[in-house]
Amino acid sequence: MNTHLALEFAQTDILNHLVALDAAELDALDFGVIGMGADTVVRDYNALESKFAGLSKERVIGHPLFTVVAPCMNNFMVAQRFEDAAAAGAALDTTLDYVLTLRMRPVKVQLRLLAEPGSERRFVLVNRRL
Amino acid sequence: MAVDAVEAEYDLEQEHEALIQFVYVAPAGLVQARSDGEIVMINPVAAQLMMPLSRDGNLSNLFTALSDIAPDLRSRMAAFTAPQGMVCDGIHLPVPGVGKSERRLFSFSLIKLDDKRIMAMLQDVTWQAKRERLLRHQEAWLNAVLTGVSDYALINLDSRGCVTEWNESIGRVTGQGSDIVKRSLAVFYPEDAITPERVLDRLHEADHSGWSLDDGWRQRANGTRFWGSAMIAPHRALGDESPLAAALAGATHPGYCLIVRDMSGHREAAEVAHHAALCDHLTGIGNRRAFFDAAESELRRWHRLPRPISLLMLDVDHFKKINDSHGHPVGDEVLRHITRVMAATFRQVDVLARIGGEEFAVLLPSADLGNAQRAAERLRATLEAQPAPTDAGPVHCTVSIGIATMDADTPNVDALLKRADDALYAAKRSGCNQVCGPGVVAEPS
Repeated sequence: MNTHLALEFAQTDILNHLVALDAAELDALDFGVIGMGADTVVRDYNALESKFAGLSKERVIGHPLFTVVAPCMNNFMVAQRFEDAAAAGAALDTTLDYVLTLRMRPVKVQLRLLAEPGSERRFVLVNRRL
Repeated sequence: MAVDAVEAEYDLEQEHEALIQFVYVAPAGLVQARSDGEIVMINPVAAQLMMPLSRDGNLSNLFTALSDIAPDLRSRMAAFTAPQGMVCDGIHLPVPGVGKSERRLFSFSLIKLDDKRIMAMLQDVTWQAKRERLLRHQEAWLNAVLTGVSDYALINLDSRGCVTEWNESIGRVTGQGSDIVKRSLAVFYPEDAITPERVLDRLHEADHSGWSLDDGWRQRANGTRFWGSAMIAPHRALGDESPLAAALAGATHPGYCLIVRDMSGHREAAEVAHHAALCDHLTGIGNRRAFFDAAESELRRWHRLPRPISLLMLDVDHFKKINDSHGHPVGDEVLRHITRVMAATFRQVDVLARIGGEEFAVLLPSADLGNAQRAAERLRATLEAQPAPTDAGPVHCTVSIGIATMDADTPNVDALLKRADDALYAAKRSGCNQVCGPGVVAEPS
């Protein structure tokens, strides 16, 4: 019954599964999830991401991701990819190695960037690299 | 009590979270690292700026992550031996463009906290730098072109400051013919008013700040002088912002534009203002401020590009006796006589200043010990031979002179002055009317 628990960071067609989940279901995932609208304002921020970053959902949801929440992604490696995909009307599903500054510690992660031309919802998924 | 404790803990958590977010969104990159560069703490803006530079996709070591734009950080750190302090203070690091991202400029500061910890601050100042450069540029150009001038010449220079082509405005303002092509811009200055090193300093200043401007006497082809200003601005290569960065990247320097303005109408006002601020009231030569301003900028240039610089300290021998036997007005006439002889002895580029009652200093750019010693000896001998004409009749006066030359062991102007002063006292002790310096044997007069 808890089909979402089977969701994995790397699985294909993950965007369609994610949009179907509510907040509690996103919280149950074992990777970080940041969802935002086309305006980059954060809509979803799951429990794991909140714990990694040391920020409660209230401080993050409703704020622009790249300026108020995660300036570290505001460069051509992350933010620009979303802009480029939107400008080209193309789907975005790419995974890259990155370093996040979670509670000011440099933490190696994999980021998966997801966007669909027809969908308002965009996601950044965060997986810790070993 | 228990409820209070829970509330206190909650407040502390809230405060902690607010503090974390404060550092998350701080609009400057902050990094704390061990002294070997190993990153301990880093905020998001630092990661935003550094991730695109990191070759291995990691941010484990500050020096490694920045090695492409600041390869000398490790050696700067190693060379910094003080227990703590600023290792670099807001140095500008040009960042090459990658893919679609444009070339950027970072400002970088590094502070040594103690033996084990360092702290770095990184900011993207691309836009500030562009804005400032534009403003300074506009101001300088407006000043150069629009201020009421009699006439101006527009001259193209190559990367070494030599005239590349003749045009009619050059002929009109300076009277120079096409034979000035390939000659240094020094051709527009009176003889001795600029040195080859100073020409390079001005080009460097133009590269660095977008322009370089100075007012003073200029010379026409027929030897007559006019009060004018010279502004040098680097030409921009097509689509390029900074010729300095282009030169660093190996591109050919596109050269400079020089505007020489005839400001004859402005000379008086400019000279009055200049005189009031920088000249000694009694003798008309430079005052202490003029001397220290000039010496400090000359030493800054030396630190960028070492070249010979010499300093003379002069003291009038037995001046008190002159004052006591003839009165102060005669003493003043003696001082004026000495400065007239000084002005006739030294070059225009030399800085003459009265820095004490009967004490003078002369800064000689691009002059080694031999040059300085010959000039000093000429001055000493002339004064010995020519008594000062005064209301009380000719008054015989002599000077003692100490010489110092700039070297790597001399950290600043004060240290250079101190060495010249020590030499001066050696000259006094050897019986006055002497020239002394490092390796200069006092000659009996």
